[in-house]
Amino acid sequence: MKKFLNLLKKEIKELVNVQLVVSLAFTLLLFNFVGQMSRKEVQKAIGVQPISALDLDGSASSQAILAGLESARFKIERIEGKTKEQAIDIARGGESKLLLVIPSGFGDSLKDLKPSQIETYSYMRSFSLIGARGSAIVRGVISALNNVLSDSFLKEKLPGLDPASLKNPIKSKDFVIVQKRMAEASASDVAGMVSSQSLLIPVVLMMIVIYSSQMVISAVAMEKQNKTLETLLTVPIRRTSIITAKMLAAGLVGLLSAGIYMFGFKSFMGGIGGDDLQAAASQGGAVMRQLGLYFDTSGYLILGASLFLAILVALALAMILGVLAEDFRSAQSMLMPLMFMVMIPYFISLFADINTVSLPIKIFILAIPFSHPFLVSQNLYLGNYGMIFGGLAYMLVVFTVLVVFAARIFSTDRILTMKLRFGKKRGATA
Amino acid sequence: MDNVLTVKGLKKSYGKQMALAGIDFEVRPGEVFALIGPNGAGKTTTLRIIATLLTPGDGTISFLNHDLRKEPDLVREKISYLPEEAGAYKNMKGLDYLHFMANFYARTPEEEKAFVDRAVEITELGDRLKTKVGTYSKGMTRKILLARALMTKPVLAILDEPTSGLDVLNALEVREIVRRYVKEGTSVLLSSHNMLEIEFLSDRVALIDKGRILDSGTPGELKERHQAKNMEEVFRSSLR
Repeated sequence: MKKFLNLLKKEIKELVNVQLVVSLAFTLLLFNFVGQMSRKEVQKAIGVQPISALDLDGSASSQAILAGLESARFKIERIEGKTKEQAIDIARGGESKLLLVIPSGFGDSLKDLKPSQIETYSYMRSFSLIGARGSAIVRGVISALNNVLSDSFLKEKLPGLDPASLKNPIKSKDFVIVQKRMAEASASDVAGMVSSQSLLIPVVLMMIVIYSSQMVISAVAMEKQNKTLETLLTVPIRRTSIITAKMLAAGLVGLLSAGIYMFGFKSFMGGIGGDDLQAAASQGGAVMRQLGLYFDTSGYLILGASLFLAILVALALAMILGVLAEDFRSAQSMLMPLMFMVMIPYFISLFADINTVSLPIKIFILAIPFSHPFLVSQNLYLGNYGMIFGGLAYMLVVFTVLVVFAARIFSTDRILTMKLRFGKKRGATA
Repeated sequence: MDNVLTVKGLKKSYGKQMALAGIDFEVRPGEVFALIGPNGAGKTTTLRIIATLLTPGDGTISFLNHDLRKEPDLVREKISYLPEEAGAYKNMKGLDYLHFMANFYARTPEEEKAFVDRAVEITELGDRLKTKVGTYSKGMTRKILLARALMTKPVLAILDEPTSGLDVLNALEVREIVRRYVKEGTSVLLSSHNMLEIEFLSDRVALIDKGRILDSGTPGELKERHQAKNMEEVFRSSLR
């Protein structure tokens, strides 16, 4: 045990170097900075928005529209006594992102039940999604005004009838059923909430796998490059202890790095989301609880076990790839196949349902050990415990096979003779 | 007294390529046994097999009457190996590196300290041991590696080209250190291309080529047998 701890301490010290600390600190700062910037932009977008308005009609209806916009947190900068062309030029020089032109005769058209037109001119001063949000809100306001105006017309012309029933004679009340539970919600909303709940799982998995695998591959490759491996293999410590120490150190440092990364990511997302989005999420949470679409303690334990096994598989695979690498540079290239193995199930889970894909594709996806953590949350919600425990057992088998294989490599000549070279011819060791 | 190491009929292949075609030799207690031969002759393969890095093919290897193939862990406790192109962990300070390596062999903290003290004495690097290995010259690195190999006073030190790439003064110092530890009871199995070094250090020499031992004996016996003035002429004569 003393020898193992000695080796583990050395592995951790080798991994936690100045470069890693600086890179993690930089990541944290960057996330925080981008998060704060985004928060400010979001606040600007949902805050009071200046829009310019040219009211050529001056009727009670046009005034009502502008008053409605003001109550919807728009700051109306009225342009008086100008033509439409002049107003377009004036608004161009200001800060407004939108110019609203209410043509003359607008109010009369409304009274005569004729379609009335409002012109909007959007000034594209940036192409960000948040920047385009202002015109979407204006459309929402106009749609609400349309409703109010049409309701008042209907009430006037057809007294005694509910305008809402006239406009929408068929109404739908949406219910979602998950197994034996039911809640009033739309299927698309629930699917969206499940997807956002599970969003963090692939991100966490990808981060840990990337960090830890890179560390294991580099740890083995650096031993080869710095010519320290031969000496290490002749000291009195079991080869399995060497593998375990490297994997454990990489796992611990990888976990820490991913934790710091996730902390940064959370502050970034918190910055973007803001308080309004969090409030909306808590409302959706009630529906999810009603449908049983949440993790209890056992659910979290199963998810944790699945993530842990996936990390172990990645570390064992990285250890073997590290042995194949000749030096640090080729070790970086070795990481690519591992990355693809994590990304393939991630993207497939984004766009397809594993239960409905064809059998060969299903087998292919399930054969990738990293697919199972992506499927755990869905299967937990749907009570597919066979799939969950089958996945855990499969990952355990893959991990055992890989560790036995890695131990075999370390116990034989292959640790020194096995190598993959990129762009060079193979050569035998003298 | 029993041999420290007895090698009989040792063979080794890399795929279809035969590296050792059946070699026999032994290393006696307190002697320096040298393997000399051209590049690709099988010297490093032999040393790597004895150091438990490579698995032997056919043949037997007995270390202190233990089968090396069956008890590699026991062998590793009592040997040390200095590869030709060895390195030390560049981010570690010299002293930390010595402590790290000593920890694998020492049973108590006192023993670890004794090993490190001995290594510090061998290196003669003083305060430089408090700086990172990555800042050392080639000579300094080689000295710390040699100190690592000898600090535990192993039963058998396996040294592959111990003075490779060193200047004359550093090489001389390394040879003197090896000689001193042999006097204290450590046996040495070494390989070298430097015939002067072989004559200075070795008690017995084996000439190896194409995986076979062509001749062996003391430097004096070999010179007489080949009617040569020095080991370089013995080397040339053996290969003809």
